[in-house]
Amino acid sequence: MSLSHLAPLLCLSLLSATACAETAIVLNSVDENVSFIDTRTYKETGRAPACKEPHHLMATPDDSSVIVACAISNELVFFDPRTGKEQKRIKNISDPYQLGFSPDNKWFVANSLRLDRVDLYKAADFSLVARIPAAKTPSHMAFDKASRFVFITLQDSNEVLAIDLKTREAAWKLPVGPTPAGIHMTPDDKHLLVGIMGANYVEVIDWRARKTVKKIITDKATHNFLPKGDGRHVFVSNRSVKGSISLVDMQTLTEIEKYDVPGGPDDMEIRADGKELWATARFARKVQVVNLDQKKLSHSIPVGRSPHGVSFISHAPRL
Amino acid sequence: MQFVTDLFVSAQGRLFDSLVQPVLFALGLGGFVEMGFEGIEFVLLGLIELAIAYTLMRPLEAWWPAERWAQRRAVRVDVIYTVLNRLGVVPLAVFALLAPVFLGVDGWLRFHDIIPRQLEDWLPALDYHPLASFLIYLVILDFAEYWRHRLSHTFRWWWALHGIHHSQRQMSFWTDSRNHLLDDLIAGVWFASLSLLIGVPPGQFIGLLIVLRLVENLSHANTRLSFGRLGDHLVVGPRYHRWHHALDLPAEPRFACGCNFAILLPVWDLLFGTLYLAPQLPPTGIHETTTQEINARDDFWAQQKLGLVLLWRALGTRAGKQPSA
Repeated sequence: MSLSHLAPLLCLSLLSATACAETAIVLNSVDENVSFIDTRTYKETGRAPACKEPHHLMATPDDSSVIVACAISNELVFFDPRTGKEQKRIKNISDPYQLGFSPDNKWFVANSLRLDRVDLYKAADFSLVARIPAAKTPSHMAFDKASRFVFITLQDSNEVLAIDLKTREAAWKLPVGPTPAGIHMTPDDKHLLVGIMGANYVEVIDWRARKTVKKIITDKATHNFLPKGDGRHVFVSNRSVKGSISLVDMQTLTEIEKYDVPGGPDDMEIRADGKELWATARFARKVQVVNLDQKKLSHSIPVGRSPHGVSFISHAPRL
Repeated sequence: MQFVTDLFVSAQGRLFDSLVQPVLFALGLGGFVEMGFEGIEFVLLGLIELAIAYTLMRPLEAWWPAERWAQRRAVRVDVIYTVLNRLGVVPLAVFALLAPVFLGVDGWLRFHDIIPRQLEDWLPALDYHPLASFLIYLVILDFAEYWRHRLSHTFRWWWALHGIHHSQRQMSFWTDSRNHLLDDLIAGVWFASLSLLIGVPPGQFIGLLIVLRLVENLSHANTRLSFGRLGDHLVVGPRYHRWHHALDLPAEPRFACGCNFAILLPVWDLLFGTLYLAPQLPPTGIHETTTQEINARDDFWAQQKLGLVLLWRALGTRAGKQPSA
């Protein structure tokens, strides 16, 4: 276990996660910067320039950095999740939109939504290995447990594309509902959950059989996923202006709870103690905080334009 | 301030949710959802910019006019152009034209591992100083706008369209948008192409456009306002631009195609020998030669038709230099 994992645990054991001050990093896509939020006071404490048209951020697997994908300036910007300080920039990462590390930490995958392409890099040094055509508009991604496949939603051709990481070639495509966005692998490695943004449901795919097995109705503009950390539940953001977040049981494949989260909830993050869910509200220039005990919105934190990703170090496990 | 932001965002969200997103999904254009949301912001900011222009410049025109007019009927057609422009009709057409071309070219380049260099690659410090990069982009785009404008006076076919902008004899802040739709389209493609080529980030693009639009609104205003001898050489103002629209210019060869082509910075006219300033406030317009041209002065559709007719004629003759006015 790395030191970065010890810090939140220590914090948990001494007090409670919500009492420990730390920095949440929020990506403001249109303003091209990141906001820093004190998670104890729920106030924005500052901003730092990021890059041109940043879309999505993600923590590295060891939580030592938060990576921002810069679509127009063709680079990755690394921030220290504790201090918010910029660590480094990696140039010539062409048009990265959505990012992901394979579970075996061998692959770093970048989707180029604008240019219909998926790039495979070595995770160790971010050197390009393969460039795979992926029309139309590759959006989000998920991996199988064995890190054999990466599954990509193709937003404008209404498909899921499977890329074989061994052969580094497209393996198959499967038609799904209109405008698929987020995609998530269930902990048992059996099903892919796909957020159908052009409708109001999660499409459940048996990826080995390559067929849809169920549709879980959630709410308008079903968009993205974040596991709760208990190995059983996953949050689903429904990105309409009215907005909501659903909680789906991945064993029964049913929606069990729903919270009103206005402003187009998109990417999410959950506190280590599981008490708070944070979500960037794309259409409201805010980060919305849901108190999961009370099951309602507790804080709305103004940030920049089109916030597209939130991360903090003491998050729940990605189970 | 947060209240104003919330109000703005709420309007943007409602328009997006009820109008734009359903249409995009119905057309299978889900990939443009985020762009659609930003497009609404573009339109709303355009309307706010227009409201600011009206609030600041209409009183100037009323209290301190360059010319007093018995009636303002001739201004009405310019209002139509402005509304069309601010509602995003022309920008949308430019986007529809440019997006497939640029995405195709850019996609091919990137797939072959060719990443076009951008301003920040030469000056990495700009990554951390967005205001500085904004100002540099502004200067580059203003320079390009000088040449677009000058060429629209130089080529006979282009002047056939651009002459519509100059046919207004009651020039006001509304006249800024009085352009033949095809001329507007060409200008939009020029501006957007260069912005994409030099890597202007989308977040700054709207800001750059708004700054230039506000300056252009003011420079067309019917007012005696002057920035003084020095100021008029630093930023384009109403007196400076009025000479660009003058019915008559001194008979010097360097003004054969017009003068004062700069949009924001007069330095381009200074550098390229096209600056002319005099203390008077000249009457504006062009010397029409046909009844059709005179009848089109105040009529939107007549102007659109006239522009196309003149363009057709110009293309049918050998292109040469076009004497202005």
